[in-house]
Amino acid sequence: MKIDFKNFINGIWRENPIFYLMLGLCPLLAVSGSVRDSLGMGIAVIFVLTGSNLTISLIRKFVPSHVRIPVFIVVIATFVTIADYSLAALSPQIHRNLGVYLPLIVVNCIILGRAEAYASKNNVINSILDGLGVGIGFTIAIFIISVIRELLGNGTIMGYQIMGANYTPFLIMIMPPGAFLVIGFLIAIKQGIEKRGKKC
Amino acid sequence: MLNQANLGLIFLSAFLVNNILLIRFLGLCSFFGISTQVKASTGMGIAVIFVTVMATSLSWVVYNYLLLPFHLEYLRTVTFILTIASFVQFEEIIIRKKLPTLYRAFGIYLPLITTNCAILASAFLGIDYKLSFVQNLVFSIGISSGYAFVIVLFASIRERLEMSPLPEIFKGIPIAFITAGLMSLAFLGFKGLFQL
Amino acid sequence: MKKKELIGGVLILTIVTALSGYLLAQVYKITKPAIEKQKKIEEEKINREIFPEGEEFAEKEENGVKYFSVLNSEGEEIGKIFTTLSLGYGGYIKIKVGVNKNGEIKGIKILQHNETPGLGAKITEDKFLSQFKGKTVEELYLKKDKSEGKIDAITGATISSRAVTDGVRKLLEKINKKR
Repeated sequence: MKIDFKNFINGIWRENPIFYLMLGLCPLLAVSGSVRDSLGMGIAVIFVLTGSNLTISLIRKFVPSHVRIPVFIVVIATFVTIADYSLAALSPQIHRNLGVYLPLIVVNCIILGRAEAYASKNNVINSILDGLGVGIGFTIAIFIISVIRELLGNGTIMGYQIMGANYTPFLIMIMPPGAFLVIGFLIAIKQGIEKRGKKC
Repeated sequence: MLNQANLGLIFLSAFLVNNILLIRFLGLCSFFGISTQVKASTGMGIAVIFVTVMATSLSWVVYNYLLLPFHLEYLRTVTFILTIASFVQFEEIIIRKKLPTLYRAFGIYLPLITTNCAILASAFLGIDYKLSFVQNLVFSIGISSGYAFVIVLFASIRERLEMSPLPEIFKGIPIAFITAGLMSLAFLGFKGLFQL
Repeated sequence: MKKKELIGGVLILTIVTALSGYLLAQVYKITKPAIEKQKKIEEEKINREIFPEGEEFAEKEENGVKYFSVLNSEGEEIGKIFTTLSLGYGGYIKIKVGVNKNGEIKGIKILQHNETPGLGAKITEDKFLSQFKGKTVEELYLKKDKSEGKIDAITGATISSRAVTDGVRKLLEKINKKR
């Protein structure tokens, strides 16, 4: 059984779900105002992605093609609910901050996308790795964005004061427009890097 | 807390103040994809209004008359998404048969809508805010028309943007995001509406 | 052949859904006590911040109004904690108000709000909230609203400040009416 590390690394870098594929935007923008909440969301996504990839890969040979989407959805919804209730029991504050965006992971294009594109066609070990890779990629992306937003918008990271006491926070950063702007600029930078690469 | 407000306030809150796209960030995947053309966006907007109102009401009934009495609240994620998916399927078949002109107008967007976070969110929020059936109805109309309004606005801007000179690195997605950010800023101004 | 496939598909879907339902029921059962406990811990923490000398906080209901009765180590009631809602700038604000035996405000805490970060959100700060301690109903107005008022509004957040002030005052008026 070949272990597909290339795919694992792909999920993190070259095909990073957010920066490259533009999937899974909804929770990203909503939660990335706070580093702590973003990490909570990232862990939830890794859990759901890995769990559903694992399960779908396990049952892939038993599911007829025409019912596969509903079946995938039920599996994903199950893992999302598990994550929802577990988080409520472990850290009510993060659970409350994530709010409605946590159960919304179920319609996150990333998860259904990976189930369809990879887990339904590959063995269990590689599907787990795929889920981990994409999940970690998502978490890294949301972490970067949340660091920028929380640092500039609040002067803190994870609640710890980083900027000096005289720093007047760039408030727009932790509000909705800030999210759009940060991602817009980050993607512009990414496009700039790619264009320059092509010139060589 | 929203369930203590009157219907007009509920609608305004859903349509403008807490606009689903620009303030709550929901329904974005299809937003950025469809909004390059005004025509497509109008079609999508209408389809979203239709599906959201029906699916949210249906989910409300399922939750309050099926899940709650049997203490099955934890099944709401699974049941809601299944309700929405089956409703969309069902509806597509009916519209295709009974109203073919309507189908040609927005039928292609229907399957896309199943994964539209905005609809599932509308169902969840109605339950979270403990709204009555009528309040929920008004709420879902507010949310979906807010979506349609913004997506058409956005598309008209993007159509113009296609023809303007922009630095290479901003073309396409980045300028779309920045535009959305500016629109979001404008909508933030509606926050004080509650005092009216 | 097609019908057989369809039935097979629906069967699989039903099995998966049934399994999912069973699994979730178990998860719910396991996590429910932990979730309840967390809620109680949080509520108790806030109650204690308002009434540090309280030993026990008992939930009670009188005339349709729910509140926490604060008991000291001898079991005597030394105060009551109420929750009230007030319409602010960005929506409703949930406020907890602690009142001692004489009907004076012991302290208040903001539980939930949707006010503007950096401006209205400052209503959660002690600098603003500590003003309410010991104020009578006549004094519970913003200084700029009434001359008897003793509450300073937050700069740039008049509406939020007013919402909290009026909310607390209305609650006190309601409680005093029942005495």
